Amino acid sequence: MEPRTPPSEIVGPELSADGADELPGLGFTPEDTVRSHDRSRVDDARDSGRRWYLIWLLIGPGILAMLGENDGPSMISYATTGATYHFGFFLPFIVVTFLIAIVCQEMCMRVGAVTHRGYGELVIQRYGRLWGWFAAGDLLFTNLVTLVAEFVAIRIGLGFFHIGAGIAAALGVVLVLFTLSGGRYWRWERISLGLALFNGLFLVAAIVSQPDWGSVGHAMVTFSPFPGGSFNTLLLLVASTIGATVTPWMIFFQQSASADKGLTPRDLHHGRLDTAIGGVLGAVFGCGALIVGAALTSHSAGFSVDGLPRALRSASGGLVGTLFALGLIEAGAVAILTISASSGYAVSEAIGRSSSFNSSPGSARTFYAANVVVAAIAAGVILIPGAPLVSIALNANVLATVLLPVTLVFMLMLANDRELMGRWVNGRALNLLSVAIIVFISVCGSAYGIDSFLQTVHLIGS
Amino acid sequence: MSAPKGPLDYEETVNHLERDQLVSGRRVHLPAARLGGATQVGLWALRIFVLVVSVMVIYTFIAQLGS
Repeated sequence: MEPRTPPSEIVGPELSADGADELPGLGFTPEDTVRSHDRSRVDDARDSGRRWYLIWLLIGPGILAMLGENDGPSMISYATTGATYHFGFFLPFIVVTFLIAIVCQEMCMRVGAVTHRGYGELVIQRYGRLWGWFAAGDLLFTNLVTLVAEFVAIRIGLGFFHIGAGIAAALGVVLVLFTLSGGRYWRWERISLGLALFNGLFLVAAIVSQPDWGSVGHAMVTFSPFPGGSFNTLLLLVASTIGATVTPWMIFFQQSASADKGLTPRDLHHGRLDTAIGGVLGAVFGCGALIVGAALTSHSAGFSVDGLPRALRSASGGLVGTLFALGLIEAGAVAILTISASSGYAVSEAIGRSSSFNSSPGSARTFYAANVVVAAIAAGVILIPGAPLVSIALNANVLATVLLPVTLVFMLMLANDRELMGRWVNGRALNLLSVAIIVFISVCGSAYGIDSFLQTVHLIGS
Repeated sequence: MSAPKGPLDYEETVNHLERDQLVSGRRVHLPAARLGGATQVGLWALRIFVLVVSVMVIYTFIAQLGS
């Protein structure tokens, strides 16, 4: 095999501004050798025609982004939507939002694989520090709010088993520390993927709850019945459902993780497969959560979000309640890992530091510290007595939707940047679809924001 | 995938990575994109719009907590 990089073209030792120590006299770092080792497996699998092994090696960022976004607040949001509206418009709407997510995530995977750089780094270098820092600021704020919501979801899940908030906070932080301890992207990714598989508990819970599958099928095909109620409530549910599926952190995460994993343009087909598999699994499991929640439509006792698993136990049996509670713990835990990772990537890329799981903690202090600190802050918030945690959880998705258009616009610009992407820029049809998606998300998010604000200041009636 | 059993040699490392995949390649600063006036105006308009709507959402959230 011809070397892809002539040794004479390797940039010589210069380092340490970003903290990634080079191996003396070689011109590459320990991060390079770890990534090269991973790539050698990919090259071997490709050269020897082991298709399934190649898929196994190359899947990861797409599935993690999609199942990471099937997080605690999203599953709570789907279940409460099911409880409020039963099967109907929102069941197929979840599928639509995951199709939107696949389009957006394919773009950031492609940009990461072609440029080998993260989203934040590219925005800063191509469009200036102001835009880059704004994007990173957006992300950190929404990530912190969302992480609080993840700990709330774990607390609700553990509460079903009579375990308190302190344990929920400690478990989340310990999990982040454990997954960071290996100094390898591959190890972090496989642990996270293993946990993410348990997102399927929501589908199992849906099957065990014995829904009327005919009604499920009818809703899927007809998008009906269309929800009644106030216009504002409908906007809230549409905005939060979009925010439960497409978010700024997913863009940051999948692009940076694709670069960190070492994907190249040769891997684009597998990257798309990874993203599509994640989208399908996410949609199926998300619909599962809504179907489980629909059992509460006729639940005479009513329920609070905090008591969702217990209400499900009353309505559908102890097994459904247990599966849903375990699912919430899993959903929160995986999202804590992926959202913390996106924070680490964003912060270290914004200030030009090493941002890789393949670097040791000593070589990428900012990256590892940001991972842990955001999780620790969010864990601390849920221990504050009287904090409006459930309200935070339900509003996190809406805020993410409002802030999403900026992230998507820059994603679209990067994917069309011919200097960066060469022949892998977006095609015309994909651009039209992407613009339609951005307009749709902007209208939904802003309509809810403006309508709610006008009601709050009593300029319009509810 | 198992952990690397030992450090790869120079040739093996560069064989399996593209030039700009190496840390040294990723350190090369990219030139700023050339944006037209209309694009700049559009980006500022989007940024201001999102800021205004974000303030509305946060205000509404805080007001709802108070009530």
